[in-house]
Amino acid sequence: MTLLHNYYESASIILFGIGLATLMLNKNLIKKIIGMNVMDTSVFLFLVSKGYIAGRSAPIITENYEGVNAYINPIPSALILTGIVVAVSVTAFLLALTIKLYETYGTVDLEEIMKMKGDDHDVNSKLPFS
Amino acid sequence: MDDLILKKIVKFITPCIQLFGIYVIMYGHITPGGGFSGGTIIAASLILQHITFGKNNVHFIFRKEMALKLIGFSLILYSTIKGYSFFGSQFHLPHPPIGVPGNLFSGGFILPLNILIGVTVSSTFYVIFTLFSNE
Amino acid sequence: MKNLICIIITVLIIGVLLVGVSELPEFGNPNNPEHNALSKGYIENAMKDTGAKNIVSAVILDYRALDTFIEATVLFSGAIAVMTVLKERDK
Repeated sequence: MTLLHNYYESASIILFGIGLATLMLNKNLIKKIIGMNVMDTSVFLFLVSKGYIAGRSAPIITENYEGVNAYINPIPSALILTGIVVAVSVTAFLLALTIKLYETYGTVDLEEIMKMKGDDHDVNSKLPFS
Repeated sequence: MDDLILKKIVKFITPCIQLFGIYVIMYGHITPGGGFSGGTIIAASLILQHITFGKNNVHFIFRKEMALKLIGFSLILYSTIKGYSFFGSQFHLPHPPIGVPGNLFSGGFILPLNILIGVTVSSTFYVIFTLFSNE
Repeated sequence: MKNLICIIITVLIIGVLLVGVSELPEFGNPNNPEHNALSKGYIENAMKDTGAKNIVSAVILDYRALDTFIEATVLFSGAIAVMTVLKERDK
C-alpha cells in the first residue's frame, strides 16, 4: 500500500481538498481567503517532504564533518523559503482588495455584492454613481 | 490600549524579543535561522509596540517615508554585492576573509547579506501592518 | 444543489491526485531520482568554499544568491501594491 507508506504526500493532497472545499462552499470573502492559504500550505508540505532520507539528520554541521552520507538533501528546504514569502505577499494583497470592497458595498457577503452590482445599465442599483 | 498590566509587561519584554531576533540573524551561518526568521521576530516586536502604545511611539526610522528609503537602499546594496558578475567574467570584488568555520566573523559575504535581508523583511512587514490599522 | 456539485468536484479532484500519488517512489529511499550529484556536491564543498556550518544558509546566500534577491524584490513589490490600493486612509 504505497498510499499508507507515503503518508506525507497523501495528507498534503487531503489538505488541498479541504482548502478547495472551503474556497468553494462559503459565501464570506474572508473564509475564501483562508481556504486559499490552506491550499498554499499543502503544496509546501508536499514539496518539503521530498528531501527526506531515512536515518539521516538535519544539514547542520555540528562538531566534525561526518561525510556525505549523514545529511539529508538540502535543496528542497532552500526552495520552500522563497515560496512562503510569495504566499504571504499574495495574501496581503487579497486582504487589501477585500477592504476596498467593504468600503464600496458595505458588506463582505459575496451573493449580496453580486445582487447589488446588478446589470451594467440598471437604474435601480444601489451604487452612488451610474 | 490602556491596561496597566499590558503596558508594564510590554515595556519590560520588548528589548528581550529584539535581542533574540538580532541573535538569530547574526548567527545565521552556524545555527538554523538566518535573515528571514530573524526579520519576522523583530517585526513582531514592532507590531506589539504599535498596538500597545500607539502610532507615535515607534522609532521614526520605521515610519512610512523613511522605511521605504531604508528598504530601497538595502536592496540596491544587495544587488551591488552579488550582481557584479553580469559585467564580465573577470570581475571579483574583494571579499571578507573566510576564516575558521565556527567563529562569528567568518564566511565571506554571508553575514552582511543576512543583516540586509533582516532589515528588509522586518521593515516590509511593519509597513504592511501600518496600512491595515486605523489609528 | 450547488453544494452537492461542489463536493462532487472536490472528491473527483482528490481521487485523481491520489491515483498519481500511489505511483510515486518510496518515501525516504536513498536511491530516489532526486538525490543526484548536485546535492552531494553542495554537501561536500559547502564548508571549504564558503566557511559556513549551516548548509541551507550556504545554498541560499552563496551558491544561489540571485534567487534570494529576486524573492526580496517580490516582497517589496507586494508592499508597494498594498500601498497603491490602500493609499488614502490616513486623511
